[in-house]
Amino acid sequence: MKRLKWRLNSNRSLIYIGAGLLALQASFPFLWMVSTSFKPPAEVFAQPPAFIPQEPTWDNFRRLFTTTNFLIYFKNSLVVSGAAVLLTMIVSAAGAYSLTRYQYMGREKIAGLILCTYMFAPIMIVIPFFILAKKLGIENTHFALVLAFTSFCLPFTLWLMRAFFATIPLELEEAALVDGAGRVRALVYIVLPLALPGIIATSIFTFILAWNDYIFTRILITSDELKTLPVGVQDLFHSALIDWGLIMAAGMMITIPALLFFLSVQRYLIRGWGAGGVKG
Amino acid sequence: MKKGADPKISSMVPSQESTLPAAPTFVRFWHRIKALQVKKREQIIGLCTIAPALFLILALTLYPVAYSIWLSLLEKHSFFPQERFVGLENYIYLWHDPEFWNSLWLGVVYSVWTIIFQIILGVAAALILNETFVGRGLVRAIVLFPYMIPTIVAVILWKWLLNDTYGIVNYWLLACGIVTAPVSWLGPDHIMFSVILMSIWQFFPFVLLSILARLQTIPPELYEAAKVDGASAVRRFLHVTLPQIRGILFVVILLRSIWMFTKFDTVWLMGEGAGAGRFIRTLPVYAYMRTLTYYQAGLGAALAVIMFAILVVCTVIYFRMFREEADIG
Repeated sequence: MKRLKWRLNSNRSLIYIGAGLLALQASFPFLWMVSTSFKPPAEVFAQPPAFIPQEPTWDNFRRLFTTTNFLIYFKNSLVVSGAAVLLTMIVSAAGAYSLTRYQYMGREKIAGLILCTYMFAPIMIVIPFFILAKKLGIENTHFALVLAFTSFCLPFTLWLMRAFFATIPLELEEAALVDGAGRVRALVYIVLPLALPGIIATSIFTFILAWNDYIFTRILITSDELKTLPVGVQDLFHSALIDWGLIMAAGMMITIPALLFFLSVQRYLIRGWGAGGVKG
Repeated sequence: MKKGADPKISSMVPSQESTLPAAPTFVRFWHRIKALQVKKREQIIGLCTIAPALFLILALTLYPVAYSIWLSLLEKHSFFPQERFVGLENYIYLWHDPEFWNSLWLGVVYSVWTIIFQIILGVAAALILNETFVGRGLVRAIVLFPYMIPTIVAVILWKWLLNDTYGIVNYWLLACGIVTAPVSWLGPDHIMFSVILMSIWQFFPFVLLSILARLQTIPPELYEAAKVDGASAVRRFLHVTLPQIRGILFVVILLRSIWMFTKFDTVWLMGEGAGAGRFIRTLPVYAYMRTLTYYQAGLGAALAVIMFAILVVCTVIYFRMFREEADIG
């Protein structure tokens, strides 16, 4: 009996050790980034490195906002990601509603086709996309970027929204229709409120994907004042001496919005995951 | 379907024919015409609402991919409009190009190692996080962070951790006496190891989350039965858990393989500026460089097409090999 209890306890402590290691490996690089971003230059390169800054300073952030184009990149990222979310959501909500509520020829084929394009990697799309954008004369515009993000996110969001819409019972809409409500009213008063959590979760995933994108922006955007954060921050590396304090401050400023959004949808994650997961 | 149901509603229900009440022939006829009209209208609305999505996918994904096949047959500068049809010359050039074979090899090395460790770590972590313990929700959230952040952040984090002079990893290794001289993690000898390590860190949460979602749906009775039968933890994993997660594992390995083999940003950003980028020039990076460093869009497109062809062939083989799992997944 005692042995059994000991074995049970040792199993438990193994689980705690495992969970602790998992949390540590995921969080340590971030904590180190936070620590570095508050250090003055001399401390950044100090040996041995201290985990807690001796003289914490906002200087890196001040320089980030005043001496670089960071705020412009930040604004561009917000605008482009926001527009991409809006376009993607309208198109995919309509598409998902159609795929779950109407019957027509080739419906399942269309769904299958969408799932197939989910597997196309950005690198396969971006080269011809770039050439085509040049031919249309829309290269180096936010419009091209929004289209690119939409094409990248759409298969995933459609698939996810389809799964969310499928969980809303048809009977509710039928009941509304029997009660004399039109299709549109049934949609506005019954389907949309029920689908709202799914729509919010999907739009935040889209936002994170657009916010994090590097390759499309790198290829499609050439003017500095149109760049988004990931590309803008990468260019901070191109000075002769790498200013690690500044770069860590920038890294923190990009991570915070992504993390806030991530935490707000965290509880939908596992549910939505069955539908395909976030591409990356 | 109940008799006498409104045809407008019945047409909404998938795969069910509307049955009409027994009535005099002319009434039945009238009902049928009305039902057909409604059905047709529903079909049109259905097609109209999917149309924008379908159009965007065709125009922005399928058309570019088809166009890149055409592009791969041209000799074309990336920025100037001139183009010349050269047939299969780009492919023949690549066949004799040692850099192509090298990048293919590096790409295979990178994807095989990252996939193996992502799967092992992801499954192990999912098994741990499926147990009940204090703070489980918090740990689950923290563990997903690396997957949710921009790649550029992951790259600057790791470049800073692995910095040869000021990096904390080298400091620790020296302090513990594991190495006697600082290791140049981003130098030619170790950069492949570093980028693999960093990619595993960044992407195994995807495996973890997919497996965890599936583990939560396994009925606990299965484990209790196995426990009563005296099965050890290892046997319980092999005979209860594994058969249950086989389907999702099939899908996860497929998706991760496709995404790792075509991974561009992580590899490119890790290699850039490190001076040793040449040693992690995988196939996607090479395709990018042909297009935007050498401005040979035709060759870049040919590389993308080859990458796509390899993926298609491997996917077909994979489905053939694991037919059973494909049906579950």
